[in-house]
Amino acid sequence: MDFHTQKKWDRAAGTFDIMAGRGPERRWRPAKEEFFAAMREDANILFLALGTGLDIAYFPARRHITAIDISPKMLEKAVRRVRTYDGSIDVQLMDVHKMDFPKESFDQIFTSCTFCSVPDPVKGLRALYRVLKPGGELHMFEHTGSRLFPYNVMLHVMTLVSSAFGPDMDRPTVDNVRNAGFEIIRVHNLFLDVVKTIHARRPF
Amino acid sequence: MERRPWFVFGDLISNVLTGALAAALAASLAVSELGMIGGMLAGMLLGMLLAMLLTTFCLSVFFGAMEVMLPCMLSGMLAGMAPAMWHLGVQQAMIRGAWIGLVVLAATYIASMVLAGSGRE
Repeated sequence: MDFHTQKKWDRAAGTFDIMAGRGPERRWRPAKEEFFAAMREDANILFLALGTGLDIAYFPARRHITAIDISPKMLEKAVRRVRTYDGSIDVQLMDVHKMDFPKESFDQIFTSCTFCSVPDPVKGLRALYRVLKPGGELHMFEHTGSRLFPYNVMLHVMTLVSSAFGPDMDRPTVDNVRNAGFEIIRVHNLFLDVVKTIHARRPF
Repeated sequence: MERRPWFVFGDLISNVLTGALAAALAASLAVSELGMIGGMLAGMLLGMLLAMLLTTFCLSVFFGAMEVMLPCMLSGMLAGMAPAMWHLGVQQAMIRGAWIGLVVLAATYIASMVLAGSGRE
């Protein structure tokens, strides 16, 4: 377990819903509803990172989901939302770098603003590759770095501060997904080339 | 492109406010006395710092995350440079800063519109 990252997110848990639960979630609601609609009823789904469970509101009903997070404080806050979900969510405290699921366990993996915070993103994505079945789908809703000046410079500057208590703002997540061995199917920009959904697949 | 009135209003108010306050802060601290280059540099840093604090702890809570933070950082940075560039007093700097916020927001909306949608990268 990466205790440094765990402590960082434990500290953030107290104010997370205030900071992220109103403006950002309301703004992203239509895009997230469309994004999570790709969760299939017949699929064994892995979701990371659950956080305080804000995303559960967008999950379609009657899905079988395993949700992990590195922060026990975040998961404590998620319990209420997990209980109200019309389906099954198996919550586990786990570090994405060291997941102990058997290989090729899941049909679909969903992430939501996760890989801005995973300390070693390519290693984390390779761990996802391992537990995803061949042909399985990776769906990511992420904010990433930009290729567009001057926004790319701004994101680097913001990361100097934000990484101390939260996420990095300048990650090349699409490249990281490709470097981890996934095949990119579709990248959909929602705001500039910063907020986006990424649909990838583990090749057969 | 964002069309929901609440968020368009939020973007507008966030960028205009950040621009105006950043320019006013830079002008009131008399950064232009550091010379044009020194003043622009100091104003830029002040503007970015102010924008980061304002968006993280206030504006983004109501109006969104990256959609608010990123253009506001740019508005703050450019508006902070304005007093040293044009030797402006506080009131003039506020007006110029507000305009800079508007221009940055318009540019961001246009860029976002151009980049929006799907593509295989």
